[in-house]
Amino acid sequence: MSLVSSETTDHRASRSAPAPADSFEATFRAAHRRRLRRAAGWRIALNIAGLVLFVIAWELIPRYSTWINEVLFPPPSQVFATFVPLLLSGQILDDIRVSLVRAASGFGVALGLGIGAGVLTARLAWLQYLLEPLLHGFRSIPAIALIPLCILWFGIGEVSKTALIAWGAFFPLWITTFIGVRDVNPIYLRSAACLGAGRLTTLFLVVLPAALPFILTGIRQALSVSLVVLVAAEMSGASSGIAHMMSEGHQLFRVDIMFIGLAVLGAVGFLVDRAFVAIARRLFPWYQITS
Amino acid sequence: MSADAALIAAERVSQVYAGRDGTPNWALRDVSLRIGRGEFVCLIGPSGCGKTTLLHLIAGFVRPTSGTVSFAGAPITGPGPERVVVFQDYALFAWMTARQNVEFGLRTRGVPRAERRRQALRALERVGLPHAADRYPHELSGGMRQRVAVARALVVEPEVLLMDEPFAAVDAMTRQTLQEDLLRLWQETGVSVVFVTHNVDEAAFLAQRVVVMGAHPGTLRTDLAIDAPHPRERGSARFAELYAEIAGALAGHHGRRAA
Ligand SMILES: Nc1ncnc2c1ncn2[C@@H]1O[C@H](COP(=O)(O)OP(=O)(O)O)[C@@H](O)[C@H]1O
Ligand SMILES: [Mg+2]
Repeated sequence: MSLVSSETTDHRASRSAPAPADSFEATFRAAHRRRLRRAAGWRIALNIAGLVLFVIAWELIPRYSTWINEVLFPPPSQVFATFVPLLLSGQILDDIRVSLVRAASGFGVALGLGIGAGVLTARLAWLQYLLEPLLHGFRSIPAIALIPLCILWFGIGEVSKTALIAWGAFFPLWITTFIGVRDVNPIYLRSAACLGAGRLTTLFLVVLPAALPFILTGIRQALSVSLVVLVAAEMSGASSGIAHMMSEGHQLFRVDIMFIGLAVLGAVGFLVDRAFVAIARRLFPWYQITS
Repeated sequence: MSADAALIAAERVSQVYAGRDGTPNWALRDVSLRIGRGEFVCLIGPSGCGKTTLLHLIAGFVRPTSGTVSFAGAPITGPGPERVVVFQDYALFAWMTARQNVEFGLRTRGVPRAERRRQALRALERVGLPHAADRYPHELSGGMRQRVAVARALVVEPEVLLMDEPFAAVDAMTRQTLQEDLLRLWQETGVSVVFVTHNVDEAAFLAQRVVVMGAHPGTLRTDLAIDAPHPRERGSARFAELYAEIAGALAGHHGRRAA
């Protein structure tokens, strides 16, 4: 009798045992996910609150103060009223597109050349010694100083803008790649050599991934340099683009248009950086990028 | 092991590094050593006596200043998959999962993806880590990382494993299991092992032969044959004897010379 009952309890226990374990894990996971979601939601809410507070202050201060001229410092409501027709006519999107294409082409050229030059100068000592005086000398020339010359040589067309942006973005890419590749832990290279890796395999599977933290830093710097040079180049001679729109606003004494340009540049810069972090996280899960 | 069938032969090898002011620093001086196929040899000696230098000469990372190092009768000209090194730590590629690390040596020879994967998982099973295949090195403990490093080395079927204080950075308990597993893998695969350590207990537990080195300049002092069968019982009287013999040789007394 007692034997039978103990058998049935055992049976029940063993059969129901997995269920509580599963449900514990499920609730634990769910709670963890909830916590993460709540933290992310809280962050976004504060991000938005910061923006809203800024806009409110900007709206109220020119309106209620006596020392700010609203023509020189228009409130957001006025800027927005100017912005809507520009948006609806598609004009501003055209300018954004033109500017982004310029920045992307200059950055793209610099990405290939900068990483290539960084890898080669870090791996070939003779090339490094040959090029280092030139590269360091040119690196100290701000891209902006080259604008007049560039316009003289290439005119105000796309070539001169791409060249200027590429120039500015090249140096951070070159120098970070150079440092990253030069400082690859020799144990990685020796492990690869032991395991039979040739030059190309070592480059793509070992050297570049090992140098990646540096290269990503260079890419991030180069992205922001690209936007700076873009604006400078567009302001000194262009017939389209965000900064061109701003210089037109300047000539027409339309501060609201200039403000729209600033807001667009800020938003584009911010979104480009976010996109960079998101793409890098996705592509390189082992490398934790802080945002 | 018969010396004639030597797998590795170092003949009067010297390695001199330039000090910062240009003074010659004899990392190794006139070292001759023969290691046979399937042997398990421990190199032991104080820090700076040239253990790593000797291992790197065999690996082909550096060329000797004078003398020759040859492998299977031919002079060594560079690193190669028949002589794989297991480093002390931080040698796993941080951007690859455990499985991808193990696959690396197969990838360099163009083994197709599915086959590569199958062999890597089998190698991870052999070192007791099938469940860690998809983890990155930073998600593994020190002992697990060294297991992956051993799996990564063994998957290319080397003729000799060159191990440079591979278990020095893990805790004592883990070290003992790693040592036992290494002995098992050595017996299963028949690979030769050259194992650098500065730990007498480790040498007494593992080696068939202990080469004791001295520093300034780096030389071979004593070559001890350890004719105790594996596995060795750490608490036994025989083990205590081996320990005392190696420790004595290290301290400078003369040990029994290998045949
Ligand atoms: N790349 C190097 N350049 C200069 N000196 C070195 C180099 N590698 C090792 N040495 C010197 O050679 C000697 C032996 O070093 P090593 O082989 O690392 O000894 P161990 O591994 O036994 O501690 C030491 O005096 C060390 O300073
Ligand atoms: Mg050493």
